[in-house]
Amino acid sequence: MGRLSLGHGSGGRLTNDLVKKIASAFARESGMLEFEDCALLPGGWGVTIDGFTVSPLSFPGGDIGKLAVCGSANDLAVRGVRPLWLAMSLLAEEGLDEEELFTYMRSAASVCAELGVQLVAGDTKVLPKGQADRLYIATCAMGKNEAISPWGIKEISPGDTVIVSGPVGRHGAVIASLRYDIKLRELESDCAPLWPLIEPLTRLLGVHAARDCTRGGLGTVLCEWAEVANVGIEIDEEAIPADGDVSAVSDILGFDPLYLACEGTAVFAVASEWTETVLETMRSHPLGRSAAAIGKVTEAHPGLVGLRTSAGGMRVVDMQGGELLPRIC
Amino acid sequence: MAVPHKVVEIMDENRALVSTGGVELEVRTDLIEGLQVGDVVLVHAGFVIEKYNQDEGEELESLWEEVMQFASGR
Amino acid sequence: MPQVGDLRAKMSSLLEALNKWLCGPITVMEVCGTHTVSIFRSGIRTMLPKDVRLLSGPGCPVCVTDQAEVDAMVSLAKKPGVVLATYGDMVRVPGSCGSLAEARSCGAEVAVVGSAIQALALAESMQDKEVVFAGIGFETTAPATAVLLREARRKNVKNLSVLSLHKLVPPVLRLLASDPTLVIDGFLLPGHVSTIIGTAPYAFLAEEYGKACAVAGFEPLDIMAGIVEIARQICGGRPAVRCLYGRVVRHEGNVKAQELLGEVFRPASVRWRGIGVVEASGLVLADDYSDFDAYSRFGITLEEVNPPAGCRCGDVLAGRIAPLECPLFGGSCTPQFPVGPCMVSSEGSCSAYYKYSSKGVSPWGA
Repeated sequence: MGRLSLGHGSGGRLTNDLVKKIASAFARESGMLEFEDCALLPGGWGVTIDGFTVSPLSFPGGDIGKLAVCGSANDLAVRGVRPLWLAMSLLAEEGLDEEELFTYMRSAASVCAELGVQLVAGDTKVLPKGQADRLYIATCAMGKNEAISPWGIKEISPGDTVIVSGPVGRHGAVIASLRYDIKLRELESDCAPLWPLIEPLTRLLGVHAARDCTRGGLGTVLCEWAEVANVGIEIDEEAIPADGDVSAVSDILGFDPLYLACEGTAVFAVASEWTETVLETMRSHPLGRSAAAIGKVTEAHPGLVGLRTSAGGMRVVDMQGGELLPRIC
Repeated sequence: MAVPHKVVEIMDENRALVSTGGVELEVRTDLIEGLQVGDVVLVHAGFVIEKYNQDEGEELESLWEEVMQFASGR
Repeated sequence: MPQVGDLRAKMSSLLEALNKWLCGPITVMEVCGTHTVSIFRSGIRTMLPKDVRLLSGPGCPVCVTDQAEVDAMVSLAKKPGVVLATYGDMVRVPGSCGSLAEARSCGAEVAVVGSAIQALALAESMQDKEVVFAGIGFETTAPATAVLLREARRKNVKNLSVLSLHKLVPPVLRLLASDPTLVIDGFLLPGHVSTIIGTAPYAFLAEEYGKACAVAGFEPLDIMAGIVEIARQICGGRPAVRCLYGRVVRHEGNVKAQELLGEVFRPASVRWRGIGVVEASGLVLADDYSDFDAYSRFGITLEEVNPPAGCRCGDVLAGRIAPLECPLFGGSCTPQFPVGPCMVSSEGSCSAYYKYSSKGVSPWGA
């Protein structure tokens, strides 16, 4: 075994392999872990846990507090689980400004208020200067499964339509811009709680699976679906809702928007006859205004995601290989 | 990598602010003479390496037309 | 940019034009790594007629950075008090004992910069450190390194030096064009390198070696038009160097940048990973700038490192074999654990084959 690299945390192939290795250590008691964002427990409960590190802590469209609540609440939402309770752990570096900390806590609280989520447990640690990068937050969220049919990777079947709820890569593009000195006039992170968009969908029969496209972006989620469900997926580049500024940032840094993180944008696999209903339902919510059908699940080429390019060719979409680094050449 | 940027501000002798859509970038202009606000430029690794002397869309259009013309002569 | 629907229609009409002009199988080398990426990302390979074979050439700076050069970078990064600054492209490239990324995970200081000039600010803000900028890339990025050096001298910055790994495109093209064992009918020439050097330095390809050449931009239409132009030259029997990227490429190139290159660097024979030593194909610091030379400041000499056993990158780079024909491809050599240069960079031809055609078994072709 080697050492961990930043690539192991980037949400792509390396993360995937690492998670599999860790899960195998628990296999005797826990069985094989499912590759889902949230676990469904007996009694209709859903639970998830997440750690948040973001640099800088505050960014256009959000901050680490908002991100921490949205992130774990969204992990529940994408399995049709209504977020109800939150436990939160803060790991702060000595010297962090208290007022700054409370700014983040207020924005976390405001998302909780919006969702009707109660903070029920918490923990605070302060680490000596230099042992943490200002502030990390871990959140565990729990809620009630409200989907009238099961949502999960196992339900994805050939013929399903693939739908995304909005333009992809906004969060990743914002963070990359801050990191690499690119100034943004309008672009904001898409960081938002997805439950209000998803709640009406839980009452429809046709949704088979959903996933918020966080680390690794849309491309990595689809690859995971194709591999775990052993299906093929074909998407059309032209149909993917794009944000011009995300494309510009991607072009400057040599990134592919397909691999940039989203924090309030999800992808759905939907029975084809439900496509229009789901799209209409999503579009009636502000978060889903530019929702679009971008492709379909196929029986052909199981395990592979294919993209029909804007130029008219086909190419394979692979998982993000490691840490996203800007390219100059 | 190859996207055209517009000069929005000459910051000093060797620096300018360029934009594409709502995205702005500070770049070095050491490699180019007489840059002006409004010029469309090619940026590579943080440096302006050339001014566009023709619109990208126009050149692509004329390239396509030219190829179609000589194809029809075959 | 043309509208997308329009783009697909225009691409397919260009394909028809290509089919009209083709008079038999042709082999075209896209020299530049940015072309390689654009070709794979836009799926152009899956659209081309079978008679057009595309080879990915030596124009990916990361791929051709010799193992010894990577080792020099890694060992510098590991030196206490040294901050190694370079472009993101270089961070994952494995040397004989690990990459910069691995060195960083063991505590070495590696700074990823998007522009050479950022190394200057870095040096100024870290007076107690030695900042070494590892300059990689061709004629396009070398002028930026030249500006860095000129500014560092003007500001009298003492804690900055440059490890110049810059390489030049025309000399390696001459090597490829003159090799009788290679079958390359035409070259798709790099757009941005040409922005700097102009089109004259390629004239020998057509005049001395009868190769068809087109300088092209990076949009799918640019690339496809370039391929059609090359087919037209080959099948019409009139090889030339045609510039299809006039919007930013002047015949004489960027003279100011060329002058700067002349002031700061001098050409030297350097080793290209997988290809070997190519005469006058690299840039080292001119005597005037020797104070900033990381080689002398840290006493670095580049030893010849044997390529990994079984690695056929040299043959892939030169177009003798396709990536899939290499015995290591996809087995012991993958983008996560690359053995050779072509698998290293996201622009390397093996890596692109692996990534965009699913280890070469894509149902849509490579």
